[in-house]
Amino acid sequence: MSDQLKAFARPDGRWGLRNHVLILPLHSALSATARKIADASIGAVGVSHDWSGEVDGDFARITKTISGFAANPNNFATIFLTIGTPHELAIIEVAKKIGLARAEVLNVAEYGSMAKIADIGLAMANSLVKEANLQARVSAPWSAIILGQECGGSDALSGITANPALGVASDRLVELGAASVLGETTEILGAEHLLAARAITPEIGAQIIETVARYERSINYEGIDMRGAQPSRGNIEGGLTTLEEKSLGAAKKAGSAQFSGVLEYADQVPNSGLYFMDTPGHDTEQLTGFGAGGINIIVFTTGRGTPTGSAIVPTIKVATNSTMANAIPDLIDLNAGTIADGLKTLAQVGGELFDLILEVANGKTTKAEKGLHHEFSLSRMYNTVIR
Amino acid sequence: MSMKGFDHGNRGIGVRNHQLILPSVVCSTRVSSRIAREVGAVTFAHQHGCGFIGNDVGRITDYFAALANHPNVSSTLIVGLGCETLQGNELADKLLTKNKSTNYLVTQESGGVAGTVSSGISAARELSANFPTAQTVLPRLHLGIDLSNDDFKVDEIVAALTEVGVDITVAASHKNSGLNFSDLMEAGVHVILSFPDPNQPPSGFPLIPTINVSSGSPLHLAIANDFDLGPKAESEEIMEKIYNVVNGELTKVEAIGAGEIIAAREVRSV
Amino acid sequence: MLPILMRKVLILNENDNIAVCLVDLEIGEVIGQDGLNLTIQNRIPRGHKVATKNISKDDGIIKYGERMGHATSEIKIGEHVHTHNVLGDRLSTEQVK
Repeated sequence: MSDQLKAFARPDGRWGLRNHVLILPLHSALSATARKIADASIGAVGVSHDWSGEVDGDFARITKTISGFAANPNNFATIFLTIGTPHELAIIEVAKKIGLARAEVLNVAEYGSMAKIADIGLAMANSLVKEANLQARVSAPWSAIILGQECGGSDALSGITANPALGVASDRLVELGAASVLGETTEILGAEHLLAARAITPEIGAQIIETVARYERSINYEGIDMRGAQPSRGNIEGGLTTLEEKSLGAAKKAGSAQFSGVLEYADQVPNSGLYFMDTPGHDTEQLTGFGAGGINIIVFTTGRGTPTGSAIVPTIKVATNSTMANAIPDLIDLNAGTIADGLKTLAQVGGELFDLILEVANGKTTKAEKGLHHEFSLSRMYNTVIR
Repeated sequence: MSMKGFDHGNRGIGVRNHQLILPSVVCSTRVSSRIAREVGAVTFAHQHGCGFIGNDVGRITDYFAALANHPNVSSTLIVGLGCETLQGNELADKLLTKNKSTNYLVTQESGGVAGTVSSGISAARELSANFPTAQTVLPRLHLGIDLSNDDFKVDEIVAALTEVGVDITVAASHKNSGLNFSDLMEAGVHVILSFPDPNQPPSGFPLIPTINVSSGSPLHLAIANDFDLGPKAESEEIMEKIYNVVNGELTKVEAIGAGEIIAAREVRSV
Repeated sequence: MLPILMRKVLILNENDNIAVCLVDLEIGEVIGQDGLNLTIQNRIPRGHKVATKNISKDDGIIKYGERMGHATSEIKIGEHVHTHNVLGDRLSTEQVK
């Protein structure tokens, strides 16, 4: 046990850094009802999405994402809104299997109308929030922290200030026994050889290389022109020239620890060590995949400033430059731009970030949490154009 | 029967008078909803605007342009983030040539969330003040039919509506009503008549009143209250409902405030 | 070593042939830190890169000691290094603008 970390113990041995009551629609048509319940409640959170139960090439990926998100250890309880199809009910079962202790199900077909489940859902949400508020944090081991690393709106200072500062904090957490996860396959392309060299076994190194190669093949196979997406226009304006350059800077987030494994999108993250997860560069799709993998706290480095947050996973924003941090302070939790200004060293800012991660893990609210930024996106691999 | 309409200038005459707060990227949805709530405008969550590539850049841009130019829209405020693939200012420039009642804000240049929300509220109010909407008569109704339930035979109702001078666009290329709605929105329909798949609940599109007709399937019978029309609705009843909705009656989905949007994509996101 | 604050550019690795500008640099400015002696040839915004060596067409661009792409034309010491004269080696056949 660490005497510094206090968290919510889950019945299956996992740890929550938050105690959310999540309203989760299993069908896009119930998204509005989920939002309505969350907005009216005394502290429940809700998400919206656009999946209507299609059984297509993305079915497995989408159901895995939704069930994992429902089961995130930061959830005290999840209220599922469903139309009752076998596929939707299976998602609930998978969430329970992952470890979701409190699953409540509101089937619109049983209650007769959306208005009815909105009423019942609100009463249920409020009662669960009250119950959650009674649960106390208890001393938790460092392995209770499952950290996700993300960067968005990168600039040329990302790889010099915020990303290596996150690397310092991540290394320290991994050494103490926490888990830390690097994602965004798009953004390690060109740096994968450096990461693979740090794998604990040659097999894991080969997996890192193969994950990137698989991505590269899929892009080349589809004959897609990456212009305009990676690096994005914002990246280019910020001074980043090539995808490899962005990747070399992005990889600094993972510090210098050894890689203990490679995870598929939304795989459950083991509870200690540094991992790589195959996620898309799209900020909210990656954030959602992290939440689905059981990641319970995220550090998000940004050069341009972005409000993005998750309904259930606290997201700490670290600015890469002081100009942006000063211009939009209501988005930024920590300014690593002080490194480029010569005011602080990398070790100092890395230490500040470590302390902040611990404070947020212990309950301090982030700017994204205060602003109620609850973005949620389902990652799709296949097109939606053809029936 | 006469039909009420709202004169929306170059956008055409609509059957609803919605101001649209359009987040050009998923990251702007929260800012957009705060502005929309304050000024009583319509906004919605979507998953687009960033990390898309290839043909989808043009496709999604055209899609958003069609949203902003829809006849049911009085004015549009685009809220961008600044670093996304689809830049709000470029979209706004494209729209401005057609409709002056368009404006845009960029979070990364407007002092963050609080700054963007307060500038957004002023900008939205200014648009409403500068471009007041006059009530008028809708000369010709453009009705969209979502036929994701292709067992449903609509020949009779199509014939009856055509006879009274209603323009009709049928979308039947997707099993997913949401994708059909998007096709119908791009066609500029005023109202949608939706025949959802027997295993799908009723749904709607944010700017366009959507009338849901039950198939009589077990699911649809179980949630009969969420449908505007029952499985045995005759053409006459359907037509009456359409006229009532055109003249202001809220559909069930409008009353709930439902409406996610989904635009078709050709390629994976990155 | 000079504190970073007094530097106009940052060299990330001794093997690099570029440096990152920490301030907006104007034509004619002279950089004389960390053994560099170069004159800025174009206006270069903060965060962008300046060539610290003469780079021939097709030579690798080295940042953090690693290859990040190649020159599409000759780049002289002191010139702006960006999408107009550099391409990535992978996945980007051509850059925007």
